Amino acid sequence: MGLYSYLLISIIIFTIGVYGIITQRSGIKILMCIELLLNSANLNLVAFSSFNGNATGQVFALFSIAIAAAEAAIGFAILVALFRLRDTINLDNINILRW
Amino acid sequence: MFSDFAALIVLLPVIAFVLTLFLGKKLPHGGAYLPIAAIAGSFIISAGIFLEIYPEGIVQQSIPWFSSGSSTMNMGILIDPLAIVMLLMVTFVSLLIHIYAVGYMSHDPAKSRYFAETSLFTAAMLSVILSDNILQFFISWEVVGVCSFLLIGFWYHKPSAAAAAKKAFLVTRIGDVLFLAGIVMLYVELARIIENPANAFEIGSGNFILQFKTMFEAIPLIDKTQLTYITLLFFGGAVGKSGQFPLHGWLPDAMEGPTTVSALIHAATMVTAGVYLVARTFPMFAATPDTISHGVPDALLVVAYIGGFTALFAATMGLVMNDIKRVLAYSTVSQLGYMMLALGTAGAVLGSKAVGISMFHLISHAFFKALLFLCAGSVIHAVGTNDIREMGGLFSKMKITAVTMFIAALSLAGIGIPFLNIGTAGFFSKDMIIEGAFEYGEVTGDMIPYAFAVIAALLTSIYIFRLWFMAFTGKPRSERHSHESPSVMTIPLMILAVLALFFGFSHTGFYGYVESNFELMGVDLGVHEGEPFHPSVIVILLPVIVGVVGFLIAYLIYNKRILDMSKIISSQNPLYKLLYNRYYEPKIGADLIGVKLTHDVAAQTGEFIDRKIIDGLVIDTIISSTIFKIGEVIRKMQTGVVQNYASITILGVALLLVLLRLEFGGI
Repeated sequence: MGLYSYLLISIIIFTIGVYGIITQRSGIKILMCIELLLNSANLNLVAFSSFNGNATGQVFALFSIAIAAAEAAIGFAILVALFRLRDTINLDNINILRW
Repeated sequence: MFSDFAALIVLLPVIAFVLTLFLGKKLPHGGAYLPIAAIAGSFIISAGIFLEIYPEGIVQQSIPWFSSGSSTMNMGILIDPLAIVMLLMVTFVSLLIHIYAVGYMSHDPAKSRYFAETSLFTAAMLSVILSDNILQFFISWEVVGVCSFLLIGFWYHKPSAAAAAKKAFLVTRIGDVLFLAGIVMLYVELARIIENPANAFEIGSGNFILQFKTMFEAIPLIDKTQLTYITLLFFGGAVGKSGQFPLHGWLPDAMEGPTTVSALIHAATMVTAGVYLVARTFPMFAATPDTISHGVPDALLVVAYIGGFTALFAATMGLVMNDIKRVLAYSTVSQLGYMMLALGTAGAVLGSKAVGISMFHLISHAFFKALLFLCAGSVIHAVGTNDIREMGGLFSKMKITAVTMFIAALSLAGIGIPFLNIGTAGFFSKDMIIEGAFEYGEVTGDMIPYAFAVIAALLTSIYIFRLWFMAFTGKPRSERHSHESPSVMTIPLMILAVLALFFGFSHTGFYGYVESNFELMGVDLGVHEGEPFHPSVIVILLPVIVGVVGFLIAYLIYNKRILDMSKIISSQNPLYKLLYNRYYEPKIGADLIGVKLTHDVAAQTGEFIDRKIIDGLVIDTIISSTIFKIGEVIRKMQTGVVQNYASITILGVALLLVLLRLEFGGI
């Protein structure tokens, strides 16, 4: 179980997240996929931190988690507001910001 | 000691301008004391410098300003005799007029703006005078023009004032463009001379390319035809600024401004800038070739004829005007014509003496014309109208104004006693001009400028005494309650009256001092210095005789009324109509050239080309529609679907990674 195993898991989680963002239509699912991306990054940070014997990466990960929480709160708030307004959170229907 | 502070002569009024503009409203009298103090300071410094450098000193200070190619422009100060006499006159007259304006403008709600603008004007004019290079001269000249525009349109809510301001600006602009073209041509010519090693011409250290000193040194190397063009273009600028024919029309219209503005700008100081320009660059005018008349440089011939013609032409219109200020405005145009005439005729035969003669008339004119305008202002202040037909009988009510105005009229008409050398300022100055024109006629056989000068002198005397008799004698022609002006207004009148009477006695010293100007600058004028001049008795007497005859004609017609003028003054008399309509100059200038040619033909064509061809054809059908079509296609990229944006972002990142890999061989 060297560094590579962690990086492999991180890549898998990241890819799932990207796939989800591109394919999913539900706003909540997309937000969850964004969380996956962030967590794959966190995993990388912690893995490299442990590998290098340096605590900086773990501190970064803590920051990142805190920011992810804030971002999720804002994202869900927007979705709630959208749902009240339009009765849907299907992003295909929320596309008036265009030509 | 004083010459170290020469820059303050300009800077003090500039500071006063800024302070008055922003703080004037909060100060008593609209902050009038700031410009008065500043200009008094300028006057004291000028006087101090004069005492220091008299009789043959020069103050020169120069710093580099910017470089363009291999040549460096500079800013600097040059105080030579020519400049110092102008400095003293401008600061002194400006000071008196500012003091007078405290009384005259006391009821005006916008007086702080007035004082700020006149202060800036004074600064600009002083900067014109002090410039040691033609570029700074031109810039200051333009600032003067802007101030003139602002002050003519001071009562901008009056449509006639706004129109007059616009006219003044546009008409003088014609001259300014010519002047600028002359500067450009001169620069090109100078640069060519310096680049050519065969000329072995170098600008000394501490000197710069467009300095007057460099210009004069380069005169022998300048191509003669080019020199004629350059000087004539300069003269074009002077024609605009000094209201010479055919660009004279703006000056009488400029009387829409407050009377103090007329006195300051359109009589005493600004309009003389044109004469000053010709005097300043006189060595260049004198060096032009004599292709038209033998022995007379072409440029000076043009100056003499334009000046002489203007002197006569404007005087004829002065005869019939009923607006007190308009009579004086035509008088100013006419007197400026005299100054040009002096530069042209005397310049051709007497060399640098012409500068002395012209400047002496310029300065005595500044005194008596400022006085005339201030008296007119005092009258207008008292009776509330500009129309001399509604005045009359004011002598008993306004003694000081009447007497000082009479003195000014005597000076303008050039009344004095020949042979005893007693007379008003105008007597000495105008006499010299007319005698100079006579000698020009003797030498060249061309008596036309002399005839212009003598006839104009007769008309001058008639119109100014007509004005005086109509305003101050006879019965009051209206029921207005008139009174003498307050002492803040009458004291400047008295000071100017003293100068208009006695300034003439400084003439011998003045001529010698100003004549030495170009020698002090090390310029060889190369003009034939005539034999000592001994005109016959009749030539000496003639200017005074025509002056007295003019006075008598005016006295008999307008005071004794031996002639019923109402028969002559009728719309049937074609001559009267021609004069009263100002030779149809407003019609030709404003209506034909301004409206018909410029607006109807040029502007309409421009509009057609712009709207129909450029906008319609080129832009609408070619450029605009192409861009529009491209936009139609590209804007489809903005789908509004979040996933599309996310996909593109991810693709972009992937692409970047690939590129990094290719470029640097590693991630």
